[in-house]
Amino acid sequence: MTKCNEIVQDIVRSMLRAKLVDEVVAFGRGINESDIVPLFITDEKDAEKIVTISYYPCSLAKLVALYGDRNKKIGLVLRPCDARSLVELAKRQQVNLANIYSIGIECYGVVRAGSNSHQVYIFPDTVQMDGETKPLAEDVLAPNCRRCEYMVPTMTDVAVRLLPDGGCLVDANTEKGQAVLEAASIAVTDMPALDLTALKERAARWKEKDFGELKKMAAKDRLHYWLAQWEKCIKCYGCRNACPICYCKECYLEPEKQIVKNEALPPEALFHVGRLLHVGDSCTDCGQCEAACPMGIPVSKLYHMLYEELSPLFDYESGFDLATLPPVSTISDKDLTKTGVTLD
Amino acid sequence: MDAVQDRTFEPKIVGFLCNWCTYAGADLAGVSRLQYPANVRVIRVMCSAAVDPVFVMKALLGGADGVFVGGCHLGDCHYTRGNYFTRRRVAMVKKLLEVIGLEPERLELEWISASEGARFAEAMRDFTQKIKALGPNPVKERKVS
Repeated sequence: MTKCNEIVQDIVRSMLRAKLVDEVVAFGRGINESDIVPLFITDEKDAEKIVTISYYPCSLAKLVALYGDRNKKIGLVLRPCDARSLVELAKRQQVNLANIYSIGIECYGVVRAGSNSHQVYIFPDTVQMDGETKPLAEDVLAPNCRRCEYMVPTMTDVAVRLLPDGGCLVDANTEKGQAVLEAASIAVTDMPALDLTALKERAARWKEKDFGELKKMAAKDRLHYWLAQWEKCIKCYGCRNACPICYCKECYLEPEKQIVKNEALPPEALFHVGRLLHVGDSCTDCGQCEAACPMGIPVSKLYHMLYEELSPLFDYESGFDLATLPPVSTISDKDLTKTGVTLD
Repeated sequence: MDAVQDRTFEPKIVGFLCNWCTYAGADLAGVSRLQYPANVRVIRVMCSAAVDPVFVMKALLGGADGVFVGGCHLGDCHYTRGNYFTRRRVAMVKKLLEVIGLEPERLELEWISASEGARFAEAMRDFTQKIKALGPNPVKERKVS
């Protein structure tokens, strides 16, 4: 087990012991080493089950929003993308952030459960696939992780940062985080400025690769590319159910809303576009939609592509500042000074 | 088939007009007997902000060649700030159209007040002309199962 595991287990144990939280939600071992499941931990003895490997099967933020008790104090062990989703859910009043203690783990990308049935991922740099240990190379990472540039959890209460030698540093981003570290009697270390240029370069390169070829296409070809992708859809609602930001209790895509044609398979393109319209402006590019898709539609590519267009347009970065609301449900002071039909 | 050469192409345009300004503007154009193309099918909505982006996409993916959204001038909204939201939504949908490969020009937003009947007729003429130049909606090329 890596040192990161031990530190996170330590923090969780002391949070429970000090009664800072009533329960902790984190990923841990299920029936065996390769079975990673979300755990609801109330007993500090169970903290040893927590693992922090490069596999992230579902959004914990969404689990808390769906099933968590708003009045209970909950600890969460999250990756940065899920921590951003948590902030987005808080903006939509789906979680009570005041009662949540979040522990963010620095992340250089996760691997997706693919056709290989049993894969064990050992963070930070190797992957066991089909019985052999391979380095965690770019091509085994989930596509959305290759495009990610938010490796450092700056939006969580406690940030666990990884060092190149396998060690960890722990930092508190908020007062709540400081309370957690005091309870765990961990001294806050001054963060050395880690060099992230190589990873930013990786993100830029993969963005260019993934988006570039689509952008180079003629508009008509791009349309037919997406229409062909959407025709693979079997309308399982997996993307919607996996998306941390899809929070509506009454969903547009349900047949009784009569927006999308009932019993049509593949569903009309509006099935995909409708969801894209709802969450595209605040997509955190966590990749859960694409991982959930049984038909291999590159969903997160589409969402990330739109998010990359909308983010500079609305001057909005999703998942960081609780005070900035989703761009289409708010208007800015700058808007009031413009008189045209466009935002320029 | 070259759409510009295709003289028979008459675009289908869906117009979402706000009850308080643009719809009254269209009404004025009517009672003033101003001529404008009959390509637009008007849907009256209580506010341009009541136009859910999903409606716009439903129209475009369902085969409409263009969508026109008309609202009050900024500051004149009956519900104070509705049209500011519309502007943001339209900007978002335009980006979305670009990403999925439809021309963003197929969606147009205009502020037209109740007294601007002539301007409404002109906007309809211009928009129909623009869509005619763009050609039929490429979504229709694909067989719908």
